[in-house]
Amino acid sequence: MADTSTKSVTASAEHYATTLPEGRNRPSGSVRGPYEWTLIALSVIFGLVSFWFVGTILFKSIPAFKQQGFYLLVGNAWNPTDGTTPSQYGALSMIIGTVETSLIAIVLAGVVGMGTSLAINFLLPARLRTFVATIVELLAAVPSVVYGIWGVLVLAPWVASTFGPWLTALPGGATIFGVSLAGKSLLLAGIVLAVMILPTFVAISREVIGAVPAELIEASLSLGATRWQTLWRTVIPTSRIGLFGATTLALGRAFGETIAVALVAGGVVQMNFHPLAQGTSLASFIAGQWGEAEGSDQVPALYALGVFLMLFSLAFSLIANRLVAKQRKAAAL
Amino acid sequence: MTDTQSGPMGAGVSIAHGMVDPEVEDPRLGPTAMSLRDVSVTFNGRTAVRDVTFDVPANKVTALIGPSGSGKTTLLRSLNRLHDLTKGARVSGQILLGDTDIYNGGIPTTVLRSRIGMVFQRPNPFPTMSIYDNVVSGLRFNGVKKKAILDEAAESALNAAALFDEIKDRMKAHASTLSGGQQQRLCIARALAVEPEVLLMDEPTSALDPISTKKIEELMVDLKKRVTIIIVTHNMQQAARASDVTAFLLMGEDGAGEQIEVDATLKLFSQPSDPRTLDYIQGRFG
Repeated sequence: MADTSTKSVTASAEHYATTLPEGRNRPSGSVRGPYEWTLIALSVIFGLVSFWFVGTILFKSIPAFKQQGFYLLVGNAWNPTDGTTPSQYGALSMIIGTVETSLIAIVLAGVVGMGTSLAINFLLPARLRTFVATIVELLAAVPSVVYGIWGVLVLAPWVASTFGPWLTALPGGATIFGVSLAGKSLLLAGIVLAVMILPTFVAISREVIGAVPAELIEASLSLGATRWQTLWRTVIPTSRIGLFGATTLALGRAFGETIAVALVAGGVVQMNFHPLAQGTSLASFIAGQWGEAEGSDQVPALYALGVFLMLFSLAFSLIANRLVAKQRKAAAL
Repeated sequence: MTDTQSGPMGAGVSIAHGMVDPEVEDPRLGPTAMSLRDVSVTFNGRTAVRDVTFDVPANKVTALIGPSGSGKTTLLRSLNRLHDLTKGARVSGQILLGDTDIYNGGIPTTVLRSRIGMVFQRPNPFPTMSIYDNVVSGLRFNGVKKKAILDEAAESALNAAALFDEIKDRMKAHASTLSGGQQQRLCIARALAVEPEVLLMDEPTSALDPISTKKIEELMVDLKKRVTIIIVTHNMQQAARASDVTAFLLMGEDGAGEQIEVDATLKLFSQPSDPRTLDYIQGRFG
């Protein structure tokens, strides 16, 4: 297969070489002009910058790995040295905080977002559909600090005074959700993240669901399916690859979000992962800790958090790509 | 266009010199499966089909023919209430399935649609399901869970759609691995598995090659024992070959489809009573 295609490419290249006017007829690959050099130079710049960036982060984090070893990944304390005891830098609570806030966000945003996308596609009249879609896309473009400040000023007091105590008062609530102290909490961070990634999720899932062929929906209904059955067994399965993409993208945004989480999670390093407990995430902790870290052995440790964040994102997108490819294949077979 | 080339005259002539006297054996003399009374369909006040009235004989094939825009498909889709999905669509008049008024008789649309199945222009198997899951999907929608029942229904429906022998060894394969003609027969099987009384077919062969088309036409003749078929077709030869009764629709001056003539197929193609029918089946327009 591959052989024949290369052959045909070469053949057409030769065909061109012989049919091009004199002077334009250049043996392929020997002489490069400004066109080639410009593109090569620009792409080399990109390569160097990427290398520089990844290299620096990895290199600068080495002292932390040497100093802390495995503790860096599984430790749960973050104590710079006080002169007598050695520094302790463990990323576990940031890692769990990141995962927990992102999960809360994607579950909330996923449920509300799916409902919204389905409503936009199947309930709204066509004229309103475009209008609502535009609004959603505009919301997706609002900078995250705006969501963060809204979270601090509006949502946090509400969680502190009303929602938190209500959750705690539920049967078993104190055990599951914990107790809200000042309103700032992992749950609040998750909610703010959910609000933030909701438009991203809806923007993509709306399009994906809109792409489900009408004839499949009609096929389902014509067999006597209810509208709910048509959603669950036809619309959602058919668009699952795209919905997965929407989830991945939204989750990626929640994962790396810094400012909003820094503002509302509480910034506390502790091994208490009740949703109403305060906590922190990798990204927001790096940003919040930077000021006081400068010049100390905390800097390599913060770089190490950066490495973890990078690795998690990498693993995440690899898994996502793998799953999407697998589903594509299954759908094509 | 193909109609004009393929010469409906041929069909008409051969039937005219046929063995049966159309006056004697009117296929509509038996029991009636569906009745249409002054059926009109409007979209946002614009009439697409006006005042259609005829009976659909049980266990026969009734063909709806007419040029593009004559409202054949619109009329067909009113028979299983598919227009309910379209905002601004309104169906008036009366459509009876047996004795039940399908719009005002209080019958739930889900029940109605399991009694009136449908096959669409392009094969539309569910792409995420296997062949087997496609066939039994309608039964599952209707709450059937027992594997033995599903298995039996799947085999029976696939046999009825003349597909079982071709795919019996790969029931778990994705439906998209089938050829276009096989996919369409799968869609027929899927509709039959629910055991409908009536099967609506909306130009079921328009996306298929001639061999697949022939298979489906032959299939329709067999299927009559099992269901009443109403088929929309662009292909007059198809109507002449495969149907017992033909309804000819034409677009009126205001763009609404109107019923010109409904008669036994043999009669309509040999001695049409309306000159416009003659013009159409002789390929003078459309």
